[in-house]
Amino acid sequence: MWELSISNLWTKKFRLISTSLSVVVGVAFLAGSLVLLDTIGRTFDDLFSTINEELDANVRSTDVIEAQFGDIRGRIDEDIVDTVLSVDGVAAAQGEVQGFAQLVTHDGEPMGNPGQGAPTFGFNWGTIDELNPMRLVEGRAPSGPAEIVIDRQSSRDGPFALGDSVTVLLQGPPSQFTLVGIATFGTADSALGSTMAMFDLPTAQEVLAEPGQLDAVSVLADEGVGQQELADRLSSVLPADVEVVTGAELTEEQQSDVAEALGFFNTFMLVFAFIALFVASFIIYNTFSILVAQRTREMGLLRALGARRRQLVGSVLIEASMMGAIASIIGIAAGVGVATLLKAVLSAAGFDIPAGGVNFQPSTIYYSLAVGVGVTVLSALVPSWRASSTAPMAAIRTTTTDETADMARRLLIGLIGAAAGVGLLLWGLFGSPPNRTVMIGLATALVFLGVAALSPFVAAPFSRLVGSPIAKLGGVPGELARENALRNPRRTSTTAAALMIGVGLVGAIGIFAESAKASVDKIIDDSFVGDMVIDSGAFGFGGLSPELARQLNELPEVAAASGVRLGFAEIDGQSETLLGVDPATMGDIVDVGVLEGDVATLDENDLAVHEEVAADHGWRVGDGVAVRFADTGTQQFEIALVYANDDLAGRFFVGNPAFTANVPDVFDFQVYVLRDPAATALGARTAVEAVADGFANATVQDLDEFKQTQSDQIDQLLNLVYALLGLAIIIALIGIANTLALSTVERTHELGLLRAVGMTRPQLRRAVRWESIIIALLGTTLGFAIGLFFGWVIVRALADDGISEFRVPIGQLVVVAFLAVLAGVAAAVRPSRRAAKLNILEAISAQ
Amino acid sequence: MSTMTDRPVTTLAAARAEDAVKIFGAGSTEVRALDNVTVEFERGRFSTIMGPSGSGKSTLLHCMAGLERLSSGRVLVGETDLNTLNDTDLTVLRRDRIGFVFQTFNLVPTLTAERNITLQLRLGRHKVDQDWFDEVVDTLGVRARLAHRPAELSGGERQRVAVARALINRPEIIFADEPTGNLDSAAGHEVLGFLQRAVDDLGQTVVMVTHDPSAAAFSQRIVFLEDGRVVDEMSEPTVVRILDRLKEFDD
Repeated sequence: MWELSISNLWTKKFRLISTSLSVVVGVAFLAGSLVLLDTIGRTFDDLFSTINEELDANVRSTDVIEAQFGDIRGRIDEDIVDTVLSVDGVAAAQGEVQGFAQLVTHDGEPMGNPGQGAPTFGFNWGTIDELNPMRLVEGRAPSGPAEIVIDRQSSRDGPFALGDSVTVLLQGPPSQFTLVGIATFGTADSALGSTMAMFDLPTAQEVLAEPGQLDAVSVLADEGVGQQELADRLSSVLPADVEVVTGAELTEEQQSDVAEALGFFNTFMLVFAFIALFVASFIIYNTFSILVAQRTREMGLLRALGARRRQLVGSVLIEASMMGAIASIIGIAAGVGVATLLKAVLSAAGFDIPAGGVNFQPSTIYYSLAVGVGVTVLSALVPSWRASSTAPMAAIRTTTTDETADMARRLLIGLIGAAAGVGLLLWGLFGSPPNRTVMIGLATALVFLGVAALSPFVAAPFSRLVGSPIAKLGGVPGELARENALRNPRRTSTTAAALMIGVGLVGAIGIFAESAKASVDKIIDDSFVGDMVIDSGAFGFGGLSPELARQLNELPEVAAASGVRLGFAEIDGQSETLLGVDPATMGDIVDVGVLEGDVATLDENDLAVHEEVAADHGWRVGDGVAVRFADTGTQQFEIALVYANDDLAGRFFVGNPAFTANVPDVFDFQVYVLRDPAATALGARTAVEAVADGFANATVQDLDEFKQTQSDQIDQLLNLVYALLGLAIIIALIGIANTLALSTVERTHELGLLRAVGMTRPQLRRAVRWESIIIALLGTTLGFAIGLFFGWVIVRALADDGISEFRVPIGQLVVVAFLAVLAGVAAAVRPSRRAAKLNILEAISAQ
Repeated sequence: MSTMTDRPVTTLAAARAEDAVKIFGAGSTEVRALDNVTVEFERGRFSTIMGPSGSGKSTLLHCMAGLERLSSGRVLVGETDLNTLNDTDLTVLRRDRIGFVFQTFNLVPTLTAERNITLQLRLGRHKVDQDWFDEVVDTLGVRARLAHRPAELSGGERQRVAVARALINRPEIIFADEPTGNLDSAAGHEVLGFLQRAVDDLGQTVVMVTHDPSAAAFSQRIVFLEDGRVVDEMSEPTVVRILDRLKEFDD
């Protein structure tokens, strides 16, 4: 049977190339994602290894709050450095402080993009050479409150030279420092694209953190003292609220933190790789079905000659696995290129990913090969089984077998599959399944498979419906196209199903995005009474200095300027995002739907709770709640306010008195502004902008601009998703081209006849093209139907998360449909050309 | 479109070949399928080309029908020199001026008998002459089968539909390549009878290739080919005379 498989592969090699292409593309994407992920992972691993290379121990607070963006750890008193230095075996120790510091270019533009790209760090210049990953290339170390050292990349981007005055955005008002040194990170100009501002320790404490406080103490051991030994000695003398980790442990911890943070990204990329392979599996299935059908006579003959069913199944599966293996190997090789391309796509979408050289792990080869071959063989399983059930007499008979029983079974399987998929989807979205991502993915795949199984029942009426105007319009070519699409509804629909997946996902995500935009607009309209929003672009790390809101409130044109801060705390034992608002101004600008209490009187120990959260906990106004902060530990709060509208306020918020008392680093991520009734809109804006100009990262927007920015952000993400889904659609097009090419081979006789009796080459090409368009339209229509359903379900499921509106982007869908027709035309280019080139005599005399 | 009425009645041949040479392959594998063939087929007659296997009879038919190009010499259909036509013009000539009946695969399987019959006309976006259509369909007795697809027709019915298709555009000449090769003798004779009536009653011109003497006997004239050359001719053939002539090839 090996011999047969190889000779089949060889004789059908050109036909199989296009099938392999779908596997190649799918595997290339998978391998590319894996390579990119490994590369990013190793880049960060290297970063932390470099930073901590000589570090023997790290002393830090035990107070930790888990937050969305990584752990928030409390600070320690700087006196601990003296305690550490007194321990036997300690060669040197130094306090560490790190915080938000964004450099401003000569032209007044903020450098870096802390919201999406690499962070904009400020920290203290290390005075112990062994523990300092930075190397001075120009100037000297900073000393005193007015001096700064920056990384070489930033000095180029600024551009800044020694002696220049550099503006830095900080918690306090923007400040100027004199550039006294330029440093590299090891030998690199910057650490993975982050900007770095370095001060002496007292200055760093002052502008980045709190005077007298440290984030950690780095410790260097004496020669001959092991890391663990040192850590043990330190632990024994340090207070209970301080812990010691070894340098190796810290590195490991930081590496796994990054790995965890990248986990989402990891899932994101692999989801698209699997979508691509899922689409590819339809094409493999279809190709093998057609090839097996074309080989019915051969199979029959082999059966007549005594080949056993198992041998026939085996021959097809060997063929599939060889094809899968070859395609996977090509795909893996192409994966390196894809990794580079993916990186470009991601950074074009605003996600700047640091990645040095390519990190190609053996595991990439194993996974990709296993998945590539696995998908191919699985997809060929059903066709191969069908091949083996060929009756020996099929060699002689030319009529096709009765498919009625087959179709009844298909109907049943399709209905069960689709129903199970919908059920799982609803459970995944509305219930609480064990693994939501896997559950939703599985459900989506099941729905697609179910609909694909059912699609032949739709294919015939659909082809007739769409084909009729085409037949009227397109003359004989149009008529032939319609009849050919109708000829084998199963083939037409399986081909279309591959396209359906991509279009369905595009449709669902388009609907989700459109609904999200409409919902955001509605939120702003409903709960926002202000005139302007000042945004920093940062979220979670850094932001606008509270000084901005303070200065704005002094303007006569401004009735109220209210900053909103983001903090994290453990409330009732659960880590929560906690908003901090200005009690004096918040009520004037944002309507949170107060049910009980008063925003204006929120004091140091007052907590505002959303009504649903309060109901869940059985809380009432006046109840006490324990709130634990990283810096101040557990504090007793009292519920002072219950509100109904969580769109802007989230689950909890506190007033600024409480926020400042417990969170040391205070930034406003947005400032809302209400103008004084006496001021004109333009006058107020001019005055606000004049103040905001002093804060380089502050962007002043009116409500329409703000809505637009929100919608642009959604679009940015949407475009990224579309670019990745484009791959699935390209694979589907390969599938259409493939089916058409295979069909052309099958129809050699009649194509020859048509040419003989006077069909011109352009007419023949047109017939293939119209057929392709019918298939593409079928796929698009099915995709829209599924997309509409998915979109609706997703929007319903997210109703609690603020997606209150349901919108279908009609214009966008029309564009997609139009593109599908174009894609159909594109897919038909090669098959139609081949059909037209056919030698008439060979075609009509071929047996 | 050419029709019976606007075609000048002349003694001109419907089609003729002059010094036609067709070479397949090259070098040691070179085969001269046609070796300086000069022959003409008159209008309004039923002619047959016969000869042993490999004599070049099918090649001659294909070249005269514009399905294959000559290596040298020329073929004229009416006054049109096929050498002067590009692929599209040649296709249009086949569509508008020639009728075809092949041994098998005469019909497009996805189209009904009616759509197959009118295929050539519709390919050229010509109107179907309903009277002529009715006459052809009734003459061939396929009216009851018009709505059926080829798979639902018997072999004889399929060939009758093919003949109807060949007639519907009132071609200058109908080329039939072994039209009865796949039929039993009863069905075959029926089809040949129709071709004969097409010539006698409808004034058509038919050129047929066959190896079957009883089929050839339906025609008015036989051209014999051997090794790519015209070696003999016969008028008013009978089965016996044809068999006698064919015996000479075996010697």
